[in-house]
Amino acid sequence: MNSSLLFSIATLSYLVAMVLYIGYLAFRKKGIGTAATIVTVFGFLVQTAALLLRWRESYQMDIGRVPLSNLYESLVFFTWSTVMIYLIVEFKYKTKAFGAFVLPVAFLALAFINVAGINSDITPLVPALKSNWLFYHVLISFLGYAAFGVAFAISMVYLLIDMEERGSATNLYAGLAAIVVLASIGYYMASLGGRMKTAFWMAIGVLILAWFIYLIVAGARNKPRVFLFWSFCVTLAVSLLVAMGIDFVYLVSFRHLAAGESFKKHIFEGTFLNASPAISIISWLVVLAFFSLVWFKGLSLKNILKPYIPAQNLLDDVTYRMIAIGWPLLTAGIITGAVWANSAWGTYWSWDPKETWSLITWFIYAIYLHSRYVRGWKGTQMAVISSVGFLAVIFTYLGVNLVLSGLHSYGGMN
Amino acid sequence: MDKQKGFVENIAEKFWKFFSSVKLAVTLLIILAIVSIIGTIILQNESPERYLREYSQSTVQLFEFLGFFDMYHTWWFVLLLFLFTANLTVCTLDRFPHTWAIITAPLKPIDDNMLKALPFRKEIPLQGDMDKVREKSANALKNHGYSYIESKDAAGVQLLTQKGVFSRFGVYITHVSILLIFTGALIGSFFGFKAFLNLPEGSASRVVYLRNEPMWDQLMDSLGIAKSPVIHDPQEGLPAMPLGYYVRCDNFDVDYYIDPSGMPTGMPSEYHSTLSIFNLDGEKILDKRIRVNEPLTYHGVTFYQSSYGIVPEARGKVILNIRKKSDTQSPGETVDVEPGGSVFVPSINRTVKVLGFAPYGMRNTATGEVQLFKTDTDEYINPAVALEIYNGKKALYRTTILKIDSGGQMNMPEDYVISYGGYWGKRYTGLQVTKDPGVWVVYTGFIMLCFGPLIAFFGSHKKLWVRIQSRGSETIVLVAGSANRNRIGFERVFNKVVAEISG
Repeated sequence: MNSSLLFSIATLSYLVAMVLYIGYLAFRKKGIGTAATIVTVFGFLVQTAALLLRWRESYQMDIGRVPLSNLYESLVFFTWSTVMIYLIVEFKYKTKAFGAFVLPVAFLALAFINVAGINSDITPLVPALKSNWLFYHVLISFLGYAAFGVAFAISMVYLLIDMEERGSATNLYAGLAAIVVLASIGYYMASLGGRMKTAFWMAIGVLILAWFIYLIVAGARNKPRVFLFWSFCVTLAVSLLVAMGIDFVYLVSFRHLAAGESFKKHIFEGTFLNASPAISIISWLVVLAFFSLVWFKGLSLKNILKPYIPAQNLLDDVTYRMIAIGWPLLTAGIITGAVWANSAWGTYWSWDPKETWSLITWFIYAIYLHSRYVRGWKGTQMAVISSVGFLAVIFTYLGVNLVLSGLHSYGGMN
Repeated sequence: MDKQKGFVENIAEKFWKFFSSVKLAVTLLIILAIVSIIGTIILQNESPERYLREYSQSTVQLFEFLGFFDMYHTWWFVLLLFLFTANLTVCTLDRFPHTWAIITAPLKPIDDNMLKALPFRKEIPLQGDMDKVREKSANALKNHGYSYIESKDAAGVQLLTQKGVFSRFGVYITHVSILLIFTGALIGSFFGFKAFLNLPEGSASRVVYLRNEPMWDQLMDSLGIAKSPVIHDPQEGLPAMPLGYYVRCDNFDVDYYIDPSGMPTGMPSEYHSTLSIFNLDGEKILDKRIRVNEPLTYHGVTFYQSSYGIVPEARGKVILNIRKKSDTQSPGETVDVEPGGSVFVPSINRTVKVLGFAPYGMRNTATGEVQLFKTDTDEYINPAVALEIYNGKKALYRTTILKIDSGGQMNMPEDYVISYGGYWGKRYTGLQVTKDPGVWVVYTGFIMLCFGPLIAFFGSHKKLWVRIQSRGSETIVLVAGSANRNRIGFERVFNKVVAEISG
């Protein structure tokens, strides 16, 4: 019995639980719901055991460190925390309706680990990581990320239920055109060299933020635009996961990586950045088709789900509670990181990209809390801010390591 | 009313209004979030050559003008942070008196006017006399942890109670903690410094080289009030900060992880230096072995293990330990010798000549031969030393010893063992040196920032009134309450209290 076997059992349990929760939504049979909960609790316990066992294994290997110190372990811990927080919500609110949305996140994250070929070896720690702060910093940060993850899942449900109309097809065409134009500009600029890539990412960042501000300001009023945002988020999440999965299969079967070569350097080579233009064009066409599908079928999905989803103000309230838990945790995560940095490098804040992005995330959720407390906002705008906040979380967690560089390099994919 | 005020008061009031707005706070948060992204995409504080490699000449000039290469210290970013601080301060001061009034306000008996504003109300008509109902209500409140005060008037009795008043401080603790962190950072940049020191093994320094000069010293110096202690050496160009004592590097080394067969893997497990502090008269005060995550602090200045490297012109010495094979208890004799040189070891009556030094060797367990590997010149993964042993002028044998060497003893034909003790004096330790008198203010802010939001989000100021009046033969109980947070949780308690009174 070793930890990877237990992790596989947990992954499988979450898959079964995901199917059961969706089945529960579809058939409303009490037995299915109970079974879903039992399987989830079972998977959670197995994963807990796996984490503890991995910790013990590291001691048997004479490395002796907490299982929270590389990308593999942090992803495993992220799913563990997400499932834990989900179970708390399920028991506290006595509703099983969110399971069908949260369990896929947990299962996909675990599947992503296997699919993306993230190294699962127990490797020794580099000297900078040898600190007791490692445990607290990673533990607290990931509990926070998990709370934000649950908030995001519920916000996405909220936005779906909130939609009354998808608006005229002009919205869809605008979305499709934006993807095509931005992608073309991206390819063109990347072909001009690294500096243009930077400029491109910057432009993308500014555009997304401009959209975000627009949605918050005019969000509740313009439902079709919010629906477009919803379709975009769903497309983004699914395309990223699938593309990375294809990358893994592609890299393993067709392009054997040299020993020690980083996966990061070859990201998206199986799809968007493939040497053959035909494959990259097909990949983009698939993205566009999926985007259109989500946009066209979103409202039907809503009509199917609507009877089984708790009231919208409950969704809003649970989102708020998750953020009220997540934000203090994120704060404490940033603080423990700062204290650790001060004991390792003599400076508690150095504006390195990971720190800065965690601060940006912190700002976004601070905006959420202030809009709610002081300005009394509720509903659609809040769900949009919560979604954007989680996009920032994902970027802080994965994007910074994949796209940017800095002190947190050991969180990378090699 | 505005006409009665002077021009200055008017402006001041406008300023106050502007800075006390939450809209401004949210706007500033959005702006800060957006502009912070720039510095994460453009590499900060790199060399001009590096930038010219990445960007075109005109882009570099534009970015330089906008300060994008050291964005978080540009005047406009600092100004944004300053505006944010001002906004936070004014918002906090603006709202605090109101909160303070709520906190200190005594509980008042409820009247019909107040009642309308309360979100939770329930009227229960009961049989039975007032005293009994009063008793039951009091118990219900006590059961839920509310201690009440009683107020009597002509119409009947009221029980008044509140809980969690202090949770209203949560938001202020949070805001003040952020102000404390800013204050601490400011103290740090005014009175502290960041510096570095590359210290070769065996040498000492009484200065460290500054990355940034304390702003206070600069200010005092430029105003002509006090001379800055910083030494500006026209030749080297690096400003140096005198320490007032000597710091010496006694030793620097890297440890490597050992694989299951007992050999080093080449993956560093620890960097460590032994530092000694001497006063200016040359008397030793203390020494400490520092490693990453475990610095040395002396007189407010902290020395961190940060890097290491080779001193090109230095000649290192091989340290050898020699002891008799029979005598396993004694520490033996330690000698040091430069590669190419030799030394007489009295305890074994032999002269040992060091033929050469290599940073990474492995012994083939079958043949006993030592194979040498290439490493970066400054990485001594498993050093190998080739030796020739003389009796007087007569060469006896040659052998190679390794730092970690399983079959080492077998290569010593005579009645003693020579083992590797180190290669000393060729490397320097790179120290990050900081002085930050503001760090405790920042840490106080950190601690408050951990608790403030918890109090603000999960604490709740709850108020409950139970009014008992008799109307004809009935006793009418009115339960009313309010909570500023977690209304759903409060509603549950409220309903239980109502149930217990009516039950």
